[in-house]
Amino acid sequence: MSVVSAFLVPGSSLLKLKTEVLGWGRLAAAMQRAGRALEASQPDVVLLYSTQWFAVLDQQWLTRKRSEGIHVDENWHEFGQLPYDIHSDTELAHACVAASPRLGVHARGVNYENFPIDTGTIVACSLLGIGNAARPLVVASNNLYHDPLTTEKLGALAVACAKEQGKRIAVVGVGGLSGSMFRTEIDPRNDRLASNDDDKWNQRILQLIESGDVGQLRRSLPEFAKEARADMGFKQFYWVLGALGGRFAGARIHGYGPVYGSGAAVVEFTL
Amino acid sequence: MARGEIVAGFLAPHPPHLVYGENPPQNAPKSQGGWEQLRWAYERARAELEAMKPDVLLVHSPHWITSVGHHFLGVRQLSGKSVDPIFPNLFRYDFSLEVDVELAEACCEEGRKAGLVTKMMRNPNFRVDYGTITTLHMIRPQWDIPVVGLSANNTPYYLNTKEGLTEMDVLGKATREAIRKTGRRAVLLASNTLSHWHFHEEPTIPEDMSKEHPQTMAGYQWDMRMIELMRKGKTREVFKLLPQFIEEAFAEVKSGAFTWMHAAMQYPEIAAELYGYGTVIGTGNAVMGWDLRKAGLSLIDEAHAQERTSLVD
Repeated sequence: MSVVSAFLVPGSSLLKLKTEVLGWGRLAAAMQRAGRALEASQPDVVLLYSTQWFAVLDQQWLTRKRSEGIHVDENWHEFGQLPYDIHSDTELAHACVAASPRLGVHARGVNYENFPIDTGTIVACSLLGIGNAARPLVVASNNLYHDPLTTEKLGALAVACAKEQGKRIAVVGVGGLSGSMFRTEIDPRNDRLASNDDDKWNQRILQLIESGDVGQLRRSLPEFAKEARADMGFKQFYWVLGALGGRFAGARIHGYGPVYGSGAAVVEFTL
Repeated sequence: MARGEIVAGFLAPHPPHLVYGENPPQNAPKSQGGWEQLRWAYERARAELEAMKPDVLLVHSPHWITSVGHHFLGVRQLSGKSVDPIFPNLFRYDFSLEVDVELAEACCEEGRKAGLVTKMMRNPNFRVDYGTITTLHMIRPQWDIPVVGLSANNTPYYLNTKEGLTEMDVLGKATREAIRKTGRRAVLLASNTLSHWHFHEEPTIPEDMSKEHPQTMAGYQWDMRMIELMRKGKTREVFKLLPQFIEEAFAEVKSGAFTWMHAAMQYPEIAAELYGYGTVIGTGNAVMGWDLRKAGLSLIDEAHAQERTSLVD
């Protein structure tokens, strides 16, 4: 079996909690469209990497069969809470833990009641309609000390493990584009990219993704990460790239816009 | 006229390993001990705190990260299970705490008046971060003193150290004014590690102290240099060196708690008490106290309330 669909999505709780804000609601609707495309690809498992699940020791993989709870965002607590009930493919997650040392990466499984599942994973599950019994996840943490190349290798490793188990695979990278946010309260109706330069960078990167020009992307992304303060160095893209074997034909952009000044896009890769 | 008091400030780091090593009933994982020198340091600090009999503990934690403004816990009772996202194998703690909402609101308001973006956290399902809980447990495991919890606005990391610490200076002064206006006897807790270079792999037995040591010689030497200055009461020199310390030792004081506390205390040039120092997965941790009451500096009167001493520049 192989990868049947792949996506990049934002992970801000504002997209779930404040859908009445036009721009954020559009991004949420774009994620729901992407979720329908993912569902149509009928994967057995979704390999998900979220920039918001921080790790500093080892590479953590979620190995809990069901993770349930109520999540309150540490920034946007006034807008409510996000209940979640996430199903994981623990057989595959354990395989990823066991295989990680092949890359020279220490790894461990995370299987604890009340473990704080990160905002990005919860938002992605909710808006894409994944992480349920029919579409269980394997979730990988973002080790802050891992570089893009290591993240790319981890994406490839997760796919290799899934193939060994004969599974149809969807891949999701959760995170943002340009990372500059407004530092003061704004009227959400007037949300915009923090700068024109950020907007240009985001659009340039999205055009390269649409064109499937991986070589140019690899050359451009380090500068994008630096100049546009890309969310965690845009490592969620490298996760997807690794899972896709380093190439894809193109992509469809379901949505692009600002989230409190930062850049967000919903991308469906053409395989 | 209300007359508040800042009785003392403590540098009170938050490695969850210290709770794990102590084996309190609230924490699910059990250990064979470990990190005794730091835990015994906290025992001495606990005894000091007991004698101070404060009305409230204010804690600033780097693990409640907010990007828009400085936030304050604003729900009178908060409880739940706190699981450390980095060390879930060591810290799964049942907590229940009482918030001094009146003081929190005063801090929020004074911060706003000083030009900061501030916000109250009113959601009863909010998960209190493990840094806040670890520091509070280690300094007062009875949980019988109300608290005010402050978030770490990520300005020092998002913009730069200077701008970030300047904000923390303003927040500290606003906190002082709020304590004065509410007439509280307060103790401040800066939940910060010193040098923050750490191991990238955990020992098989986390409490195996044969594996514990400073991650870098440079980090250790920086810690000793700063501690020695604090022990001598050379606060001005500490703050002169702080940006270099942060840069070269990757010091966690960058997140602001240490500056917030000292600004609230008006950067006292008094000798700090070192209760103990130790490393945790290689990071440098000191438990230290500045006893303003003993130094005759604890009372906040209106005449001096508006003094604008600053060592952040």
